[in-house]
Amino acid sequence: MPDKTDFYRRLNIGTGASEEAIKKAYRLAVRKTHPDVNRNDGATQLFLDIQEAYKILSDPNRKGDYDQGRDPHDISSGILTAIEYSQEALLRLEEPQVIYSLVDIVSTKDEEQKSVDLPLNISLVLDNSTSMKGPRLDILRAATKEIISDLGEDDLVSVISFNDRAKVLLTSQTQPSDVQVETALNDLYAEGGTEIFQGIEAGYEEIRKHPTLNYVNHIILITDGHTYGDEDNCIALANTAADQDIGISGLGIGIEWNDEFVDQLCALTGGQSLFVHDLEQVKEFLEHSVASLKEAFSRRLTLEVTLAPGVKMLSAFRILPEAIPLPIQENYSLGILKKHQPHRVLFEFLVDPIPGEIDRAVIVSGEFIIKKKIRDQVIPITLDRTLSSDIENLEPPPPEIFKAISHLTFYRLQEKAQQDIASGNPGTAYQRLLNLSSHLMAKGEDALAKIAMNEADYIKSHNNFSPTGKKQLKYGTMRLLLPEKI
Amino acid sequence: MITCKVCNNQEYQGVLFCGECGSQVAFTSDKMVNTLVYPNQIRGLEVDFSQTIPKKLLENSTFILYSTEREEVIEIPEQNEFTIGRFVEGQVITPDVDLNNYEAYDMGISRLHATIRINTEKNTISVVDLGSANGSSVNGYEIPANSEVPLNHGDVLSLGKFNMKVILPKDMK
Repeated sequence: MPDKTDFYRRLNIGTGASEEAIKKAYRLAVRKTHPDVNRNDGATQLFLDIQEAYKILSDPNRKGDYDQGRDPHDISSGILTAIEYSQEALLRLEEPQVIYSLVDIVSTKDEEQKSVDLPLNISLVLDNSTSMKGPRLDILRAATKEIISDLGEDDLVSVISFNDRAKVLLTSQTQPSDVQVETALNDLYAEGGTEIFQGIEAGYEEIRKHPTLNYVNHIILITDGHTYGDEDNCIALANTAADQDIGISGLGIGIEWNDEFVDQLCALTGGQSLFVHDLEQVKEFLEHSVASLKEAFSRRLTLEVTLAPGVKMLSAFRILPEAIPLPIQENYSLGILKKHQPHRVLFEFLVDPIPGEIDRAVIVSGEFIIKKKIRDQVIPITLDRTLSSDIENLEPPPPEIFKAISHLTFYRLQEKAQQDIASGNPGTAYQRLLNLSSHLMAKGEDALAKIAMNEADYIKSHNNFSPTGKKQLKYGTMRLLLPEKI
Repeated sequence: MITCKVCNNQEYQGVLFCGECGSQVAFTSDKMVNTLVYPNQIRGLEVDFSQTIPKKLLENSTFILYSTEREEVIEIPEQNEFTIGRFVEGQVITPDVDLNNYEAYDMGISRLHATIRINTEKNTISVVDLGSANGSSVNGYEIPANSEVPLNHGDVLSLGKFNMKVILPKDMK
């Protein structure tokens, strides 16, 4: 049981301090203890202690728990976390070093039995711009119909079509009749351009008609086009949606759509993004999306991280449940937490030289927040390592993290090849893809190796990626990051 | 810092794979460094293209030219030798396959651009560039005019800027 006054003491205030006073005391304390200013021994730990205290005291709910002597971190929670590092220890070096960390979180069976299953509130946002004409829309209609008929009694569904404007084909409701669905989808015909914002905004509004606390909320976007000029609005909306526990997943059809942008939307909200070339996979994607939402244990999982001073985050990549690169930020939306299936994120940190006298250094402190129907659960995590001077006898990293880093390297190479093209260096891109192809081949990824090689050859003659190959390579290498390929 | 033995790129201590060339830079035994495979070995690979091409087409029994950009099968006649090109009014010898539907002019396709030959005895398919203005290439490599070049399953055949994927029937793969 924690000391009831310790956090107040850390901020140098009384237990009756007002919200304003806490904030003021925190700012003062940060100014005094920030390791950039305060170079005394133990300053880093002091700084982190103050962060921890403020995190709890600035949140009325958790402050209440703390004041009543309850552990605000709620550790006995039936949730397990596991952390693996690329190195046994941090090295005592005069120069910065890189360390990778694989962070897992999973719920236990006991905990799941205690929890209440949440119904879904999904909005299918379908692109009906001119380019969707013909087979694309036909398949979409059929797949949508099938998905809706598979939903449970309490699941809410809405259907939106969008081009330059959005149209609500089916308002948010449970168990629409076959006739209703049929009529709604008959209104789905191809015309106009693609403005994604119109579509996701309408989907968002439909979902918001019901309290998001009681559902697993998700927008499923299917598009084949390139949105222009409304990207910033979309990003802002994705952030708002994430704050309200609404996720967005995207499926791109064909070669025209803007994959970087859709990836970003999905990464911000903890959703997934996929590329299909074969229309028949549209149905698979929809089925997979809905099935995985149904496995939700929590409507949303977030991870807040505070980097220790002298630590820089170089990259973050969600590996499970679906692989997607995450933007570097302090608050990660990781999507729903699935029952008994781990969520896994791979982080890459750059750590500045660590002062000689410290034996154990904190890299990151943070907490997972599991949003559930009744009460949110907070699971604190600390990434730290002891220090070692023995640079000669390093243990190789555990196989799981080694594999993840190796696959991340593949993803990075294709990303770099894209940057090479963008900066007018097709020769470098060519060489890079040859290397990538070789490494893929060595790892037994023949199909992807051949695609990389074809792309290298294509770049040699066209000075650019082929539109299909570019996306295949990106989503192919992204998929490699999954521990077992799906 | 550590140095990549393959490309001399410098990486921070703790990095496992070179960010430039992808080679492993830490915990390597000497033989692991040289894993680069000769490109032609990969070019010659026979792999599952189900990711690139609709599944249905892979179970075909005939030879197919597939436009990846348009995502459709190009119509070809059922004969063992046919020409591909761009039909123009008043042309004396017309191509068997007319690519006008594929913006042939903008793609730089000549009136008689290439011939495809199917050798049923040897079970091979080949292409001959008929001295076209903008040339032809296979997998990005330009092919000489008027000489027969074999086509393999999964090859990308380009006439001018127009790309087609070569899909062979099961028994010819």
